[in-house]
Amino acid sequence: MIISRKRDFQELLENIKNYKSFFLIGCSECASLCGTGSEKEVKELAETLKSEGKEVTGGIVAKTGCQVLGTKKELKAYKDEVNSAECLLVMSCGAGTQTAVELFEDKPVYATNDSLFLGNMTRFQVFDERCSMCGKCILDKTGGICPITTCPKGLLNGPCGGMKDGHCEVGPDIPCAWVRIYERMKKLDKLEELTGSVFDARDWSTGQSPRAFSAREKKGK
Amino acid sequence: MSFKEALESGKFVVTAEVGPPKGTDISEMLHHIELLKGKVEAINFTDNQSAVMRMNSLAGCAIAVEHGVEPILQMTCRDRNRIGLQSDLLGAYALGVKSVLCMTGDHVSAGDHKGAKPVYDVESVQLLRIVDSLNNGRDMAGNELKGGTDFFQGGVVTPEANPLEPQLIKFEKKIKAGARFFQTQAVYDIEKFREFMKYARNFPVKVLAGLVVLKSAGMANFLNNYVPGIKVPQELIAELKAAGKGKGLDKGIDICARHIRQIRDEGICDGVHIMAIGIEDKVPEIMERAGL
Repeated sequence: MIISRKRDFQELLENIKNYKSFFLIGCSECASLCGTGSEKEVKELAETLKSEGKEVTGGIVAKTGCQVLGTKKELKAYKDEVNSAECLLVMSCGAGTQTAVELFEDKPVYATNDSLFLGNMTRFQVFDERCSMCGKCILDKTGGICPITTCPKGLLNGPCGGMKDGHCEVGPDIPCAWVRIYERMKKLDKLEELTGSVFDARDWSTGQSPRAFSAREKKGK
Repeated sequence: MSFKEALESGKFVVTAEVGPPKGTDISEMLHHIELLKGKVEAINFTDNQSAVMRMNSLAGCAIAVEHGVEPILQMTCRDRNRIGLQSDLLGAYALGVKSVLCMTGDHVSAGDHKGAKPVYDVESVQLLRIVDSLNNGRDMAGNELKGGTDFFQGGVVTPEANPLEPQLIKFEKKIKAGARFFQTQAVYDIEKFREFMKYARNFPVKVLAGLVVLKSAGMANFLNNYVPGIKVPQELIAELKAAGKGKGLDKGIDICARHIRQIRDEGICDGVHIMAIGIEDKVPEIMERAGL
């Protein structure tokens, strides 16, 4: 899921200081799991804004904030509340915020969260990053552990000289991705796959933003 | 005789390391170049070592060439993508640089510009392959060059890495990618290094043992605790302690000289690379005490 974190409230207040009335948009997917955009957070933010002397015209928890057409449909029922707000506050990831930007050309839209990364939830609301969506998966060759993401240098051919007792030079709480890969491959009796050949330089164009993709089959000719 | 020729001739080769200045005042670097001239086979110029921004290695190398000293261009993958790396390699060759040491480079989080975007478009093994390609007259995309390079390229290995096996796999990959010489991370346990060399001798590469002069027992403990891939044995720490206050550096120089003598006399590897970090002035004395 996309991990998001609430921005500092004072920073948010500063950003929206010129507006008085707001409509809030949360998201029932990732942001809800992250505790940044569920029903609860939408209500809390509404209360906090009111206590700061602001007006809240209404709010919604979009089913999937990054789904533009679905969100548009859901927001139709809130036309008046949206219209009477000077400004929209989106409580999801940056994708959800930009859905609102696309749907409301004439309204200022502000993000209440920072979008962090694509993460795995390892414990309740504790996340770590294992995939950076680089566009060309190499997991089949690295024992299912991604060195592009879990090695701070994204190394493809083994640990660097900064590895110390299985940990990374960047931080002692980061396990060395290549030691993990080595140990897993050894356990699976597949070490020869690691030693066999040099991993050539990557084609990073697969990760070049902005990316677009259509999964629809082309029909007819 | 060039660094490459010296190694290939079987001569016991000594290299040293100089860090370019943080700024444009090159007087100290020039002093070190002159001091080491005629004493060492080549001088490594570090590439923004520890991710601390300084004058680039290439400028240091060009200045060394100008002063009649052979440089080894240290090149990390942290600050430049494949276009920048290749471009600098071509420039270095045109300026008279003949040897290059390919490394991945310390992460920006270690340095003085922690907010920098680390590049790592390619890494040490792939950089070695790039040098090999330039040596064959083509860039890494396969485009023909108007004049290729003839670099003598090397890499770094950490014989004291823990765990060691993944490091050895990488060592072999570096050789596959074209490495012809290695300068090691600092070694202090010569018996353990001898074991490593027994393995390394299976490959057609030259190895220079990295040596960092110990200045005190405190420094040795610091290296053990904080610097990856370095293990100073307790006997050496005891030796430094026994030397007494103010005598640490002198003892450290003794130890370094003793290690050089042992490595040379017993033919453990092909030479030594002295990293004097901050006490470059002492390199001639170290060599003298080692009988070089």
